[in-house]
Amino acid sequence: MLLDNVPSAPSASGVPGVPGGAEAPRSARLLDSVHRIGALARHNMLIRLRDPGQMISYIVMPMVLMLVLKPLYVRAVDGGATQVATGLMVMFSVFAMAMVGNAILSERTWHTWDRLRVSRASAPELLVGKVLPLFAVMVVQQTLLLVYGCLVIGLPVPPAPHVVLLAIALWAFALLAVGAALATVVRSHGELSVITDVGALTLSSLGGALVPLSIMPDWAQFAAHASPGYWALILMQAAVRGDVAGALPSAGVLLAIGLLAGAFAARRLARGWARGGLI
Amino acid sequence: MLVATDLVKRYGTVRALEGFTLSVAAGEIVGLVGHNGAGKSTFVEIVSNLVRPDSGTVSIDGRPPAAARGRIGVSPQHISLYPSCTVREHLELYGKLAGLRGPTLREAVDELAVVLRLTEIMDRRTGKLSGGQQRRTQAASALVHRPPLLLLDEPTAGADLETREAILDVVKQRAGEGAAVVYTTHYLPELTELRATIAVARDGRIIAHGSYEELVNDLPGEVRVRLDSEEEISVSTHEPTVTLMDLLRQIDRPISSVDVRHPSLDDLYRSLAVHDAP
Repeated sequence: MLLDNVPSAPSASGVPGVPGGAEAPRSARLLDSVHRIGALARHNMLIRLRDPGQMISYIVMPMVLMLVLKPLYVRAVDGGATQVATGLMVMFSVFAMAMVGNAILSERTWHTWDRLRVSRASAPELLVGKVLPLFAVMVVQQTLLLVYGCLVIGLPVPPAPHVVLLAIALWAFALLAVGAALATVVRSHGELSVITDVGALTLSSLGGALVPLSIMPDWAQFAAHASPGYWALILMQAAVRGDVAGALPSAGVLLAIGLLAGAFAARRLARGWARGGLI
Repeated sequence: MLVATDLVKRYGTVRALEGFTLSVAAGEIVGLVGHNGAGKSTFVEIVSNLVRPDSGTVSIDGRPPAAARGRIGVSPQHISLYPSCTVREHLELYGKLAGLRGPTLREAVDELAVVLRLTEIMDRRTGKLSGGQQRRTQAASALVHRPPLLLLDEPTAGADLETREAILDVVKQRAGEGAAVVYTTHYLPELTELRATIAVARDGRIIAHGSYEELVNDLPGEVRVRLDSEEEISVSTHEPTVTLMDLLRQIDRPISSVDVRHPSLDDLYRSLAVHDAP
């Protein structure tokens, strides 16, 4: 019996066997969408957990660097412990942009993206399902580094942990959206690697993640405003201090970056990689 | 079920489809054949809503492809599997994306595992499977939600005999249940076994469409008579049996063997798709 003729098949569409079709009530369509995103997120989390090398290195490397660089920062600037902890948190989260990029490019290598596009999942659902596990990974990474910073490096314990968590979530959203957008314009893993490695170093160091902005030349301090890393660092440092008002402008900038990049990525991914040079 | 009318698709100066028209009824298997570049895969991509045509229309049960997502099962030409995921995980993913859940999903997965002879490898990662096992997994992924339209683009390419038999069996079963099937292949005997209606594509359009008998009956067969003297007489004829009898009456020398060959799908394919190719 075909899907069309299965009376017991889940149906919220009014069309037998086609759950959540265009004719379905809005709430049923939303529920179906949540189920599809859940299935995709679980699937992508499985893939991620079966290849955890990159995740582990992006957690261990900044921990080692924080420990090694702490004395230097403490002597160089006031609040050196905060600078080294938040700076390296931001820097290694930027590297994590490569994770989402590679995850999307792999779908192209495996010819699986077009297979997914034929399913009932829409392009935004596919993108959210792809990015959600990486979002969780990034939040865990940043939280672990923050806790490590407090326990080992001497980062002051944030007075408002929920503000820090929100800041981490916002920064992860912006980064993943930019990573996804990048993956839709590059042609290979090699190209992505060049862009994310060079870009991550440039953006994070220009943003003051590596060297405190106060000791950088004037032109660099001015150019820093163009780097998302700069806004992330300001956001993170304000959040750690519990300074909600100080965090708001940078939060707004990162939210805008994330929304723009996310919309761009969803639009590009909806067109896929089928023949015809669509991407 | 599927009606494609006058499809045109160009990639730069390359004309992939040029007035491609094809209909497939519920329960019908259409074997789409043609040389490489004839437009078969482009047609499949357009019906799957992966590519938009420059002009022409596609209707799936009265809906455009974009509104028929989830009612189509596609097995693409390339292997498209996640190497680190198991066979079961693939079937569950595509089943869930189609809206199957709980016992319905488990029953669909288990049934396909049996039909496509995947039971022993359900919990193995697809990256570790043989080519034939990967083909069967891919076919299962396309079938798990029992779609009313199946687009199978060379589903048995490079596959072993077991895979071929399993896939042909399940395609026949699904067509018997009412699914419309588009089946592209270069292995023409498969279409005879599927009792498929045959559509021959060339240069982006369908140049012949009909049942096996309709298409093959007009073609000549061949009679070969080999004499003891190693000499061979070969006659191309529309009535091989009558011609053989005539030959046997006329030949007065010892005969070592006779061979009567009726026209086949290969002859049709060669005459339409290859010989007339520019």
